Amino acid sequence: MAYTRKDVSTLTAAEKRRFVAAMLEIKRRGEYDEFVRTHIEFFVPDGEYGLRSAHMAPSFLPWHRQFLLDLERALRRVDSSVTVPYWDWTRDRSASALPWTKDLLGGTGRRSDHQVTTGPFAYAAGKWKITENITDEPYLTRDLGRAGAPIALPTRSDLDGALADPVYDVSPWDSTCRTGFRNRLEGWGTGSGSASWRNHNRVHKWVGGVMLGGASVNDPVFWLHHAFIDLQWSRWQNRHRGARYLPAKPPGPGDDQEGRVVARQQRMPPWDVTPEQLEDVSRIYRYA
Amino acid sequence: MSVSVGGVSVGREPVRPGAVRRTRREALRGAFGAVLAVALVPVVAASRPTRSGEDPGDTAFDETYRGRRIHGVLKGSWQVTVDGRPLHLMRRADGTWLSMVDHYRSYPTALEATRAAVDELSPGRELREADGQMGQMHMGGDHGVHA
Repeated sequence: MAYTRKDVSTLTAAEKRRFVAAMLEIKRRGEYDEFVRTHIEFFVPDGEYGLRSAHMAPSFLPWHRQFLLDLERALRRVDSSVTVPYWDWTRDRSASALPWTKDLLGGTGRRSDHQVTTGPFAYAAGKWKITENITDEPYLTRDLGRAGAPIALPTRSDLDGALADPVYDVSPWDSTCRTGFRNRLEGWGTGSGSASWRNHNRVHKWVGGVMLGGASVNDPVFWLHHAFIDLQWSRWQNRHRGARYLPAKPPGPGDDQEGRVVARQQRMPPWDVTPEQLEDVSRIYRYA
Repeated sequence: MSVSVGGVSVGREPVRPGAVRRTRREALRGAFGAVLAVALVPVVAASRPTRSGEDPGDTAFDETYRGRRIHGVLKGSWQVTVDGRPLHLMRRADGTWLSMVDHYRSYPTALEATRAAVDELSPGRELREADGQMGQMHMGGDHGVHA
């Protein structure tokens, strides 16, 4: 029977406690750091050679959907009542409200070094030492809203701009696509101004600290953010009935993207699963 | 749908022959992998030709930025260090650059991407020595050495 992923603002005290406990337990077991490494490994940018499955590619959505399912499976092995909540950043926009409370993810980092010092993932609590990282901090870092040069979270209107696009993705299937639901949601723009990072990308930037880098999975909010991104895929499908994942077929010989993107029925590394198999997950989970 | 993260080892065959890259974990497993990883370290950002041209004069920088020594040289690929530690830069298809530190937006030049990475470093913190190697594994295997 399908389980439910809830809006983080609706969790009971017990649900928050059990989510946190399961996260800390998979961290203790060493399973969590595997997720961090996997995400680092699979960030292949589109200006370089190789298959892109996780970012700057059509499979951005199914890749993170499977990634979330794996994390959730690990959590549910610890506590079968746990699911990944989602953070609706179009509504919960304060740096001091959920999910940034002491009983869940803890708050922003302190001014001097952005170290998170509150909540269960604070270094001093002793259960969330960061071992896979780009910089040498052993502690979680955040700079919610970027105090030094403030930016705003994406708005409902920004998100609607992505959801309104009736086409899943377009050639050349990368970060330069100006249309298509996938890149409008993933958020790669052009130029260097603030308009160049939108929706998904902008949220990473807003959280700051470790969420800004290749090791962003170290911040538990990664999962709450990506659950909300994942929800947008379902919403988009509901809004555009019959619209499917694209490309349906692999780019052919002579196409610069040949062998570099995952088509609908192709295997999506590192898993033995295709985007098509992940288009409908209603038998596994649903969103409340 | 039946694969857990433990199943990362499952289903590694390329989607198309020659298209998939070797992952860092694969590369680090076994003697061959260890040798490969070491061999790839000097190649920090092997890049594809880009759609937009690159300023031919923009091939090196060496400066102190916010108290950090940043150094970069374009030798087929950008080799960048911050306080002597490798910073992996990646290229977008539009010719802009992003770093492992600041991963969700890009900058017009390698220098700007490097300065942006420094902006994110807290006082007293450094890049991990492994970054260059870790980043290199992004392109890994057959696709990592086109520079």
